[in-house]
Amino acid sequence: MLPRFATLLAGLSFSGLAQAAATQYPLTVDNCGKPQTFAQAPQRAVTIGQAGTEMLYALGLGDKLAASSLWFNNVLPEYQAVNATVPRLADNEPSFEAVVGQRPQLVAVQFEWMVGPQGVVGTREQFAELNIPTYLLPSDCEGKDNLIGADGTRLQAFQVDSIYKSVSQLAEIFDVQARGVALNAELKGRLDSARAQLAGKDLSGTSALFWFSSADLVIDPYVAGRQGVADFMLRTLGVRNVVESSEEWPTVGWETLARANPTWLIIARMDRRRYPADDYQKKLEFLRSDPVTRNMDAVKHDRIIILDADAMQAGIRLFRGVQTLAAAFASGKASQ
Amino acid sequence: MTVMAALQLAPLSCQGLGLQLAGKRVLHDIHLNLVAGETLAIVGPNGSGKSSLLKVLAGLRPPACGSVQLMGEPLAGMPRRRVAQCLALVEQQADTLDAINVFDAVALGRTPWLSAIAPFSRADRAIVEQALADLDALHLRARLWGALSGGERQRVHIARALAQRPQVLLLDEPTNHLDIQHQLSLLQQVQALQVTTLVALHDLNQALTCDRVAVLDKGRLVALGSPFEVLTPECLLHTFGVHGHYLTDPWDGTRILRFRAP
Amino acid sequence: MISRLSTCIGLAVAALLAALLAGTAIGETGLAPRVVGQVLANQLWQAGYPVDPIDAGIIWNYRLTRTLVAAACGTGLATCGVILQALLRNPLAEPYLLGLSAGASTGAVLVGLLGLGSLALSMSAGAFIGALAAFALVLVLARAAGPGSNNAQVILAGIAGSQLFNALTAFLITKSATAEQARGILFWLLGNLSGVRWPAVWLAVPVALFGLLMCLWHRRALDAFTFGADSAASLGIPVRRTQLLLISCAALVTAVMVSIVGAIGFVGLVIPHALRLLLGPGHSRLLPASALGGALIAADILSRTLISGQVIPVGVVTALLGAPVFALILVSRRGRP
Repeated sequence: MLPRFATLLAGLSFSGLAQAAATQYPLTVDNCGKPQTFAQAPQRAVTIGQAGTEMLYALGLGDKLAASSLWFNNVLPEYQAVNATVPRLADNEPSFEAVVGQRPQLVAVQFEWMVGPQGVVGTREQFAELNIPTYLLPSDCEGKDNLIGADGTRLQAFQVDSIYKSVSQLAEIFDVQARGVALNAELKGRLDSARAQLAGKDLSGTSALFWFSSADLVIDPYVAGRQGVADFMLRTLGVRNVVESSEEWPTVGWETLARANPTWLIIARMDRRRYPADDYQKKLEFLRSDPVTRNMDAVKHDRIIILDADAMQAGIRLFRGVQTLAAAFASGKASQ
Repeated sequence: MTVMAALQLAPLSCQGLGLQLAGKRVLHDIHLNLVAGETLAIVGPNGSGKSSLLKVLAGLRPPACGSVQLMGEPLAGMPRRRVAQCLALVEQQADTLDAINVFDAVALGRTPWLSAIAPFSRADRAIVEQALADLDALHLRARLWGALSGGERQRVHIARALAQRPQVLLLDEPTNHLDIQHQLSLLQQVQALQVTTLVALHDLNQALTCDRVAVLDKGRLVALGSPFEVLTPECLLHTFGVHGHYLTDPWDGTRILRFRAP
Repeated sequence: MISRLSTCIGLAVAALLAALLAGTAIGETGLAPRVVGQVLANQLWQAGYPVDPIDAGIIWNYRLTRTLVAAACGTGLATCGVILQALLRNPLAEPYLLGLSAGASTGAVLVGLLGLGSLALSMSAGAFIGALAAFALVLVLARAAGPGSNNAQVILAGIAGSQLFNALTAFLITKSATAEQARGILFWLLGNLSGVRWPAVWLAVPVALFGLLMCLWHRRALDAFTFGADSAASLGIPVRRTQLLLISCAALVTAVMVSIVGAIGFVGLVIPHALRLLLGPGHSRLLPASALGGALIAADILSRTLISGQVIPVGVVTALLGAPVFALILVSRRGRP
């Protein structure tokens, strides 16, 4: 406990020394292998992806946001007011022209398959031709090859440092480095307090399973494998992931999952209704009525945690998610 | 039924029969009454409508006008199964890619007589064997279809029609692919059968051996009667476009036709 | 003669039961055969063995149902293949010729993409409606091509219909699908049995049996088509009625199967041919064709266990296995007439 506290203090004070730094323009940021140059702090930004949007809100940059797009859930309550002032281009993927039509000075992108070599919105070169810098959240490109596999394949496990990097780089780009430092400290603090809650608990026999959704209700589900964000959350807290696949969201049969009998089930809540299984109520219904899954320990003893789908992605919600999980693991009861 | 009535009942007859194919009038106003037990030859140049007439009489094509009676009953309303029990048609060409053997191919002829309560029995087997024997094809019974020559296939088709045990047999140019020996023997066998036979022929000398001859020209029935009355040199010139005259064979006194180009 | 037939039937049934048992015992996770036996005994005659309820659920509700549906699918698709090959006189005819699989894909994709999942319309229902819509279109096209039962017309109409619906599917996927959706739809389309439970069994097995019985009832009629439709008519078969009845029956059976398990190709084309090569063209020997629906079970077993923890779509496995097996049969018959 003490060593951790000391590290926290040291980290805070060290960052305190850097607090006064202001960004020197022109600024060149190396982002996912492509250097992006900024002549000044952008005044108009467009986001593609809720994680990027909420990160900018958290940095207090809502007034710099010209438009947003690609939403999975409702915006966090504390940003509702500022979000109401930002026009939404699309709930899903926007068109290239819609983005460019906003005359942005930065496009912040959550997924490489939105803007990248196979980007559905466009390629980074297309934006570069119009002198629009693009910023991909490092968590989606570092250590990940998005050209392999349907959701991309992680070449190495997800590192939470990539989120801190996004925050500090965005803060640098917008010349609000002090806020970046503060935000990172807050996020690190959440992680630390989550870990602290579980200090002294023996979690060696605890396992968990993340269920995102399924293409059809009774069909093999999409569950979290090793390497990804969800797995990071479990590793941070010292809980074992029952799924051993190294894909980020593989499909695994219910037979295998039931036999693995995880201690905890974590199911995703989302507003999207593309598949019947998107609705977490339907997921619960299935788990409780299916003749095999209803005999799983987690279902019988109601150790089912409901987590926002966004908390399973690389963004600031991840940290609240970790705290929710820690609270549940510590108390032994799932909170709603 | 008295003998008189049986003699008067034409097994197959048609009145005012007309047929249209792809918008074209193929048959015009055909009247025909078959006599029980006879062998009637239908002759005519290519395109005169012989095959079409046979198909309409067999009930495979609906006529544009007129009617057909089979065993005294209108053909139009008859269930196909009953039609098949009375009448059998051998087409000019029918082929298959299946590896069916000859016995099974002929056994198909028993289809109109089989049902859930009357499966293929010993009696049916005997009928099939008899049909094969009649066509001198017993030695082919285990052969596969693909291994048969054109003439052998033709004989198997006819054997199948015989296996149907019909009252009326319609044959569409059955001697086309046969060698000389089998051509002669086939006609002899067909005429010896009790079955009323309607056969479309190309060879006019073969037509001479039948009981009656009908001449089709551009879809119309232009002559019907005994062979020598119908196949006159005038008819030959007018319908077939050739000169012809009769020769008498000194060996047995039969008359045959000799043809010259016009 | 009779005793030989009953021996054959006996062997075929025994083979089918063995395949069903194998499908129940082998799966993603290893379960001891003793446990499998105990669970079956408990369910079938209340034996009362103590078994883990999860194991029992897996064996009875997941594996057994999947195996039964796989067998039913194999039977249904092979039967439809036989019907279509006999009636259309074309060795390339198979159940998806009439646009059924293409229509099913479009239906499933529409449901998956338009997010009709919220209306509780599952991909299965969408697939069924799509399949029947495509079939209706093909019938209309075949009719419009001209009166008279022309096989070439039907086949061409089927090809046109399939192309149309396949193009629709491709358009929908490229225009609207995210990677996640495309993956889910593709997984479904290539054929998979992972979503099967007892309700699917109560649908698939009776439908397959219905198709089989309909085929057996008309076995003589199917034989009569050997030399063509005119030949069948002159043998006393009501041709139009028989064709319409049997083709509609085939369409219904195929639509149901595709909507339950997706498009499992190759079975409807290859199994009738393979059996014809082995047994000759007589339709009375259709029974072995259906028993070999068990072949599909084998494919399902393999698709479950080939890569542990991952499931390969059944359609992929049937194609991978079916092609070499068929080639083997073809080559071994070479030289024999």
